[in-house]
Amino acid sequence: MNGLLLRNLRLFFSSKTRVFFSLLGALISFVLYLIFLRKMMIQTWNSFNGTVKLLDLWLMGGTLAVTAIITTGSALSMMVEDRENSRLADLILTDQSYTKIHLAYLFSAWLIGLIMQIAMYIVMQSYFMLADGLELDGTIILPVFLIMVFSSLIWSIFNMVLLSFVKNVNTVGHINTILGTASGFFAGVYIPIGNLPNFAKDLMKITPVPYNAALFRKVMVNDQLTKVFNGVPQKMVANFKQKMGLIISGNSTNDMKILLLSLIILSVLGIILYRSNKNMVVSKI
Amino acid sequence: MLLKVEHLTKKINQKVIVDDINLKIYQGQLIAFLGPNGAGKSTTINMLTGIIKSTTGIVDLQGLKPNDTEYHQKIGVVFQNSVLDQELTVKQNLLSRQRMYKKKSNSLNYWIDKFHLEKICNQKYKYLSGGQKRRVDIARALIHQPQILFLDEPTTGLDIQTRNLIWKILNDLRKDTKLTIVLTTHYLEEAEYADFVYVINHGKIISANTVDNLKKDFAQNILNVTTDDVQGVLKFLVDISYKIQENQIIIPIDEINAIVLLNKIKNNISGFEYRQGNMDDIFVNITGEKVE
Repeated sequence: MNGLLLRNLRLFFSSKTRVFFSLLGALISFVLYLIFLRKMMIQTWNSFNGTVKLLDLWLMGGTLAVTAIITTGSALSMMVEDRENSRLADLILTDQSYTKIHLAYLFSAWLIGLIMQIAMYIVMQSYFMLADGLELDGTIILPVFLIMVFSSLIWSIFNMVLLSFVKNVNTVGHINTILGTASGFFAGVYIPIGNLPNFAKDLMKITPVPYNAALFRKVMVNDQLTKVFNGVPQKMVANFKQKMGLIISGNSTNDMKILLLSLIILSVLGIILYRSNKNMVVSKI
Repeated sequence: MLLKVEHLTKKINQKVIVDDINLKIYQGQLIAFLGPNGAGKSTTINMLTGIIKSTTGIVDLQGLKPNDTEYHQKIGVVFQNSVLDQELTVKQNLLSRQRMYKKKSNSLNYWIDKFHLEKICNQKYKYLSGGQKRRVDIARALIHQPQILFLDEPTTGLDIQTRNLIWKILNDLRKDTKLTIVLTTHYLEEAEYADFVYVINHGKIISANTVDNLKKDFAQNILNVTTDDVQGVLKFLVDISYKIQENQIIIPIDEINAIVLLNKIKNNISGFEYRQGNMDDIFVNITGEKVE
């Protein structure tokens, strides 16, 4: 399987346009924030000191979730390309089983998602360091890394399920465009979840996206949050957490549980679908 | 016997694509499936390689079935379209495919050398010419030293030099390693190399024989004489069949009799052409259809 894994990674990273466009959705959320979203949000919370850094970290959390979603999707578009031009048939004719080929796609998407999140993190952290003097908090690096690993896994599986029966590269393009746009909204990056009408909130909550973003944000803003809201009534802090999507379902433990449940459901679905899609995606007639 | 196929049939939505095909292929043979586009050649090959499942029928390669993993080790496939990775170099492509086989075989350099790929080794596959791509494709199909090589229209759209080069390499391999080759083609001249030809039309084998026998049965040699004195020539054509096209007379006849006849009519004709019967004649005569 190492051969397959290496091939997939090499294919992804050998095309600069592919790498760039896989990050586009995340870059858009970052740039939109810099251009005007930040200003709007600061106005809301401007009675506190250090809000800028707090919001920077908040944005980074949401953007990392978006990165995990879209880069794994774009990594898996290679799988569909292989289906479309019979490359999959060629791979199946080697000693590698269909299961191994499938797992190689999954693992490579997982790794690509992780690498791209790290890259995105470095870009954003460096920018905010220079622009806003945001210092690097060493204590969060390990937890953030673990969340990245987890996010990349859950979204790799999600995208694999989504693309189960797709064998046309154009379709993947459309799906990824929709996903890229939607993930920004669902992660509450463009508009914080608290500012949305109830229906939109409920819609977001039935997907794993806001929980994933919340997990990132919670860990990333923790320290800064304590600093900014030092001496402020608990109720107000809770309000901030609710409005900005640091907590989605009452408390963080619940959020985590929902994410784990999503992972299990998606995995089961993934296994069922992969078993049934072989004939369809390989056959050329 | 290397590969035995019995009653192979493929139906899709009640439509019969391949209809009850039986094959016996021995080691070292070159087998050609000849037929027009849409005759069912590729579908047959895809069933033989295990890429698509047959509706009914048996494919048996020395006891192995197409969905056995060991079967994959024994076959190499060159697809109609290129299936290697566009973004990788020739070497990366070959190396990555080689790694996907358990049994290690000849070093990569052996194949690079054999198919004259040294100069393009580090070029991305997508920048290669059609002929270069095809050479890499075939090298890839052989990289695990299979016993049978399936070639699905391997030289369609290639120039004559590339075609000759590919055939030289394949013929060498047949001599050196007793490689068995099964190819589909609608180029008749390509089928002429074959030990055995299956003519396929509408999913059925309509004729199966050696090239020589097919020629004997369906493609006689032709003497074509040009004359201004058609009647004068016809006097000598007793008990010989012929066709007249304006000032030309087309006479199916073997070499010896052609010489005898030409001697008799030499004063009546202004020119003549004698040609071997070819696969075109065979195909037209068997199917009553023309190959494009």
